[in-house]
Formats: sequence, structure tokens, C-alpha cells
Amino acid sequence: MLKLRKELWFGLIIMAAIALPTLILMPWSSMTLGHYGLMMLALVVVAIMLGFPTAFTLMGMGVIFAFIAYFAQKGGDPNVAVKHTLDLMVQRTYGVMTNEVLISIPLFVFMGYLVERANLIEKLFKSLHLALARVPGSLAVATLVTCAIFATATGIVGAVVTLMGLLALPAMMRAGYDMKLSAGAITAGGCLGILIPPSVMLIVYGATAGVSVVKLYAGAFFPGIMLAVLYIVYVMIRAKLNPKLAPPLSAEDRVVALSAVPAAVATAPGQRALPALLTAVRGHRAAAIGRKSLLKELLVALLPAIVFGLLLLAIHRAVTTEPAAVETTGLVEMGSASDAAKTNSGNDAAGSNELKEPTADGVKEPPAASSLSELKEPPADLKEPPTDNGKEATASTAAMKAATDGTKAGSDASRAVSAPAAEGAKTVPAPGWFWWTLGIVVAALVLLYAVLDWQRYEVYKLLLASFFPLAFLILAVLGTIVFGLATPTEAAAVGSIGGFVLAAAYLAIARPAAERTKILRLWLPLWAVVLAAVVWFALLKSEFIVSPVPMWLGWLSMTAFIVWCALATVQVKLQGVLSESVFLTAKTSAMVCWLFVGSSIFSAAFALLGGQEVIEKWVLSLGLTTTQFMLLSQFIIFILGWPLEWTEIIVIFMPIFIPLLAKFNVDPLFFGLLVALNLQTAFLSPPVAMAAFYLKGVAPPHVTLNQIFAGMMPFMVIQVIALLLLYIFPAIGLWLPEVLYK
Amino acid sequence: MQSVLLLVDKISTRVGQLAAWSIVALTLLIGWEVFSRYVLSNPHPWVMDASNMLYGALFMLAGAYTLSKNGHVRGDVLYGFFQPRTQAFFDLMLYLLFFVGGIVALVYAGWDFFTTSLAQNERSSIAADGPPIYPFKAIIPAAGLLLLIQGLVEIVRCVICLRTGDWPSREEDVEEVDVDKLKAMVTSHTSSTDAGAQGAR
Repeated sequence: MLKLRKELWFGLIIMAAIALPTLILMPWSSMTLGHYGLMMLALVVVAIMLGFPTAFTLMGMGVIFAFIAYFAQKGGDPNVAVKHTLDLMVQRTYGVMTNEVLISIPLFVFMGYLVERANLIEKLFKSLHLALARVPGSLAVATLVTCAIFATATGIVGAVVTLMGLLALPAMMRAGYDMKLSAGAITAGGCLGILIPPSVMLIVYGATAGVSVVKLYAGAFFPGIMLAVLYIVYVMIRAKLNPKLAPPLSAEDRVVALSAVPAAVATAPGQRALPALLTAVRGHRAAAIGRKSLLKELLVALLPAIVFGLLLLAIHRAVTTEPAAVETTGLVEMGSASDAAKTNSGNDAAGSNELKEPTADGVKEPPAASSLSELKEPPADLKEPPTDNGKEATASTAAMKAATDGTKAGSDASRAVSAPAAEGAKTVPAPGWFWWTLGIVVAALVLLYAVLDWQRYEVYKLLLASFFPLAFLILAVLGTIVFGLATPTEAAAVGSIGGFVLAAAYLAIARPAAERTKILRLWLPLWAVVLAAVVWFALLKSEFIVSPVPMWLGWLSMTAFIVWCALATVQVKLQGVLSESVFLTAKTSAMVCWLFVGSSIFSAAFALLGGQEVIEKWVLSLGLTTTQFMLLSQFIIFILGWPLEWTEIIVIFMPIFIPLLAKFNVDPLFFGLLVALNLQTAFLSPPVAMAAFYLKGVAPPHVTLNQIFAGMMPFMVIQVIALLLLYIFPAIGLWLPEVLYK
Repeated sequence: MQSVLLLVDKISTRVGQLAAWSIVALTLLIGWEVFSRYVLSNPHPWVMDASNMLYGALFMLAGAYTLSKNGHVRGDVLYGFFQPRTQAFFDLMLYLLFFVGGIVALVYAGWDFFTTSLAQNERSSIAADGPPIYPFKAIIPAAGLLLLIQGLVEIVRCVICLRTGDWPSREEDVEEVDVDKLKAMVTSHTSSTDAGAQGAR
């Protein structure tokens, strides 16, 4: 009872602190419209704190005050004032319904729910925790990384904190971790998704402030990463200084059970995985397992090499052929180049002659050579493993191994690949940094395979099944937005589809083996059709093919995809997940977008009353320097974060701050990044720190709310430090947008 | 009384959930357009209009659904610590003061907006030869009306709560943070890998 009192007192004091000065400072004898505007602002804060749904508070108050404003301005005729008010209202509502920025909100939210329900957080946490086993405070660090990745992909604070409270908190308590540190790591980590793009908060800010969401995403990327890194560094330092807070894992806890194939192949636990697999494939050992599963294992092991190989080839192509396209004669030359390339890959006699040398020493099978000559068309290799796991995979993996495994073979091969391109177009030699990158990547891969023993190989496989798909989804969505390849809306829609694919794939994998093969046998042909179109497109883009993707193939692959969606929904029983995600998406979008309807009516009324001018005049009369203004505004937002939530702060107060920025020469983009970082604190500041309540809801009974709050405090201090760092070094946020959007 | 309240809840929910499926349509539409534009170089100018309409219908018609599930964001700093009676008192006052006036104005203005558009047979101006826009504008009064009815139900709920001291019950719905379900999600892996456990909703 006493506790309730305390909370109530806190709220009442804040309310009084807002209401009383407003009432006292109002020049009651000489009220102007602007003063009504200020009164409206104070009243709305009080009304929101009373707990009425914010959207309707804003809407109702906006209507009332818009009427007052029109009434005073239009000469006191109530009918005219009513008409204007109604017009304003419906125009503002329609404006939100056709808002090009807000349309991406439901799509991102949908993607988040789908990914959340793909049910991979447990795998993610387990694999990260094993991967980070040697780091001080490993469980807490793994918690933070899991939170950062998962929260970024889903953006749902409540679900992330609850899930981690169920998964990580018991694990950390079993390992003897300090209660406060554990609670802080979970709550702070769970909130990272609000800052790290693609996040809904930045869309809301962009829509309110009229700043490009693309720039905001580019800008918030590094500050978000920086905050996550600061958290991790903090936890590691604490754990290093005082191991009692976070005892290291015992040796038994770090052991990973080997799966069937590695267990059969492995002769010693410390044995290197790749050489062992290679010898096994040659057939000297472990005949019981069968060549096919061995080759699959080898393909998995070589995946990093393959991915980096393809990536570097793509980069190499891009940097060497780019100038040709810029030249005026480029068009003709480009055409002939692609013709030449076509004949090369068509009858590989010419191409493979040049390429035979570097490959021959790496691989025995003849098909490998031709496959390497096709390395210039990277996606072709990607296509092959899913469609035909047998011989083709051997050829391509073996070829790739030759290309990237051994240092000399790798660089030789890529140099050789650049040779045929040189015949056709005037190519420029690759710049120095490319060879440096190549060298570093090859060295890193050699190092990777040198330390990759069986234990690490198992951890790597776990990561491959949980961490990488999610990271890929995030980076693909974010990358296409930031590099201007797609609008946020498009990327969000494709991301949602990706979330659906992820959920379907994870549910299919969870099936018993027999059923799984049956399901996959149906899926693969459908996917092959879709991939065919995509590969064709990739070949077209990299100028190996001149004819565009034929319409029939496009339609066929789209049909195949739709059929797959329907099939997958039925097969792995996705209906439940899908309808739940759909309904939750509707509720969340309605919540955010109705808030926008309310706030746009409210801010229109505020502008009509001239409240903005009053505030502007007042702020300018203070004679603040830019620094003082920034500190003051961030401090106000920080304070507002205690009683209010981020949505309310952005939609109500940003329209007031944004016009002031021009007066102080502050970039609204930079301001937005500071605000986004600042509002992180709103999630951890009592009494409305949602994260704490979610954690309390699933924590064992002996964990008190006060302990959780105490655990969050250091992380809140880190947030303030991050805010200061960003303020002092704006380049942390502004460097990427400046480079990309010069 | 309670059955009437639940019936209105159900109507709002059904309409909202129906509108909710437009997110799937929106996702597929934009996904298809991305594929068509980039891969097949065959863009469709009407997609912009269509996606706007799907998005607008989605959130507008889900407004009443969200209200019926108490899903609109509230300032929680005091509200959560109030007794139910106090909560109901403030809610009732503010429903009458802000909600009813605001939403009635929205319905009225929206109806006007729609009939004007209908009389002109207005078409979208985003793309040349755009689709008719008045059905989309009809969503404003429709969504407003739904919200108004749902709001009246909420007002009745406040009165009941003031009388009895307890909030009348609502029907359950999917929750963003459903602890039991999340628990099942996390533990089903350790107990059994059978996906049937996850399929059970």
C-alpha cells in the first residue's frame, strides 16, 4: 500500500509541477491565442498522465482548441469556426491515411511479429552463449548480443525482454551471476531494437519531423552499434574486475556434443575440422556415413569461403568494369564484353583453357574447371546446391575451395578471372585496396580454418542455423534501404516475406526427419523456379545475358512463390502464427497511426493558436547558444521520458522542437539521432520503464522490482554517456549518411 | 447488459480482424511490385494507390478493434496505480470530454468528405487515370462510426465499474506479450521437439 502511495505521489507531483507553473505564469489579464496554445500543451500532458488513451486525448483537445482558434480568428462566427475545424480534422486524418512514410510501419511491425514467432531465439541464445564461452561474463554478453540481434529484427521490446527473462535469467542465475547485472543486461539489451534500424521509432520521428527515414536509418546504425558495444564492454569489465559477479563457465559446460557426421569422422576433439573432412571425403575413412552426407558437411564447412569468394568476385567485377560504363563509347564496348562473356560460358573451351592452370592443382574432377570459368556468374553456383545436392555441389564446392582455400590458388584464380574480362572491355586494374581486402580475407579464412576444430565447428553450425539467417535478414533489409536500392516500404514488405520464409523454414526443420524430407521435396522445385528468375536477373545485371527476364518466367516464378506460401502455411501449420501476427500487426499499427491522427490534429491546433511563436519568442529571448539549447532540449526530453512513452514524446513534442532547430543551425537529422538515443533512457527510467515490468512478470518471485531498477541504472548511465559521445563526435552518426548521400 | 457489450466488442473485432488481413495483401502486393519492377522491368503505376488504400483501411478499421481490446497507448504513470473506480471515473470524464466530441466530429466531417468526393466521382491523382478514391474516403466515416459505437460501450463499462468497483470482463485476444505462450515456446524445445506442441494455440 505504501508503495502504491509513493508512485501516486510521484505522478501527482509531476502533474502539479506542470500544471501549477502554467496556471501561475499565465498572464490571465492579457491572454493571447498563443497563451491558449501553451495552456493546451500543459493540459495535454496532464490529461495523458491521467491515463486516457493518448490518441483520443490529442484528438479531442485538438478539436476543442482548433475551434477556439478559428472562433477567435474568423470574427466570432461559430458556424464558420465549426466548418473550418471539421475540414481541418478530416484533412489531417486523410493525410495520415495517405502518408508515404507511415505506410512502412505496419510492414515492419508485421515482419517483427513473423520473425518473433519463427521461434529461433532459444537457438540464437544457446549458440551465441557457446560461441562466447571464453569471454568474461559470457552469459551476460551472449544475452546482450541475442537481445540486440533479435530486438533489431522484431522491434518488440516486451516480447524480447519476456523471452530473455525466461531463457537467460534462469541460465544466469544457475551460473551464479549477480542478479542486478543479469536484470540490467536483459532489460537494456531488449530495448536496443528501438534504436538500431530498421526501427519504428525512427519512422515515427521521420514522419513527424519531415526527415528522410533512409538518412535516419543510415545515421542511427553506428550509434546503435556503439550503444550495444558499450553495454558489452561494461559487462566484460565488470566481470573481469569482479569474477564473483559473473563466474566463468566450467569446462564441462563449454563442451558441445558432436552431431552424427562429425562424431563419426572425428578422431580427436582438438582435430581440425576441414582437413579431416577432406580426407574423409576422399574415402579413406568413415565409409559408414555415406559420401552424400559427408559432402553436405563439407559444403557447410566451406560456406564462409564460398560466400567471401563470391562477394569478392562481385566486388572485383564492380571495381574493374565500372569506368567502362562511364565512357561515352562504353555502351558498345559493354555489349561486346557481355557477348564475349556469353560465348565463354556458353562453350567453355576458351574460358576454361585460361583457367585450367590455377584449378588443376586444387581439384581432380574435370567439371570443376568449367565451373570455375563460370565463377564470373556467381549466382549460378548459389543455385546449384539447393536444386541438386549431388554431383553439382561437389564440383562447385571443390572449385570454390580451389579459389579461396589455399592462399595462392585463391589469388591466382581471381587474377585469372579478371583476364577474360580484359579482352572485351577496357578494364582498369583493381585498385590497391581491393588486393588488400582480398589478402586480409584470405588470411582470415586461413586463420579460421586453422582454428576450426570439431568443437568450434559444431558451434559454427549452431550459429549458422540461428545467428546468420537473422543477421542476413536484418542486413539485407537495412542494406537495400541505406544504399538506396529500395524504399523503406519496399524493403519492409520484402522483409516481411523473408520473415515468413524464416518462420516456415524453422517450423519445417522442427519436424521429424521423415516428414521434413517429404516437405522439402515439394518445396525445392518451387524454389528452383523462383531462383531461376532471380538468377537470370542477376546474370542480366552483371551483363552476362543481354535478354531481359522473360515475362513467362516472371509469372511462373511468382505463381510458384504464391503456391509455396499456401503450401507451406498448410504443411507446417503456419495458420496460427500467421493470423496471430496479422491481428497483432493490426492492433499495433492502429495504435501508432491513430496516435498520429490525434497528434496531427493537435499540432495543427497548436500551430493555429500560435503557441509555436510564443515558445520560439521565449526560447530566443533566453539568448542561448547552440550548445546550451541542445543540452536543454535533450535534458527536457530526458525528463519527459520518465513519465511519458517515446511515442507520446515524439508526436507531441517534436513538432515544437523541430522549428527551433533552424534558429540554432542544428541539423534535424542529427537532432533525431540524439533524440532516438535519448529516448532509450525512457525505457529504463522508472516508474514507467516497461522493460522492468515485463522482466518482473517472468522472473522468480524473490527478484524484486527494485533490484531490477537498480540493475538498469548503470545501463542508463551508459546511455547518457553514449548520448554525450554522439554529441561530442557527431561523425559517429553523420558519417554514413554523408558518405552515402553526398 | 454484458452480452450487448460483448456483442459490440465482437463486431469491432470481426471488422478489425478482417481489415487486418490487408497487411498480407499489402505485403504480397508490394513484394510482387518489387519483383515486377526490378526483375521484369514492368512497373505498375496503380500500385501506389492500391497500397495506400490497403494501409489506410488497415489502421482506420482496426481502430475500434484496438479500442475494444484496450490496446491504445495510455500514459501509465498514474493510471496503473489507481483503484479501478478511480480509473473508471477519469476514463468516463475524458470519454465524455474528448472522445465523444472528437469522434462525432470525425464521423460528421468524414461523411461530408466522402459525399463531396462521390458527387465529383473523384479519382486519385497520384498516377494518371487513377482509381476512384471515394470508396477509400468512405472509410473515414465508417471507421469513425465503429469507434463511436465502441466508445459508447467503453463508457458503459466505466459506469459499470463505478457501480461495482470492478472492470467488466472482455473477451480474450492475441496479446503481444502472452507469458504462457512465450513460456510454451521456450520450453517446448527442451521437453519435446514435436512441433505439435508449438502448433497448439
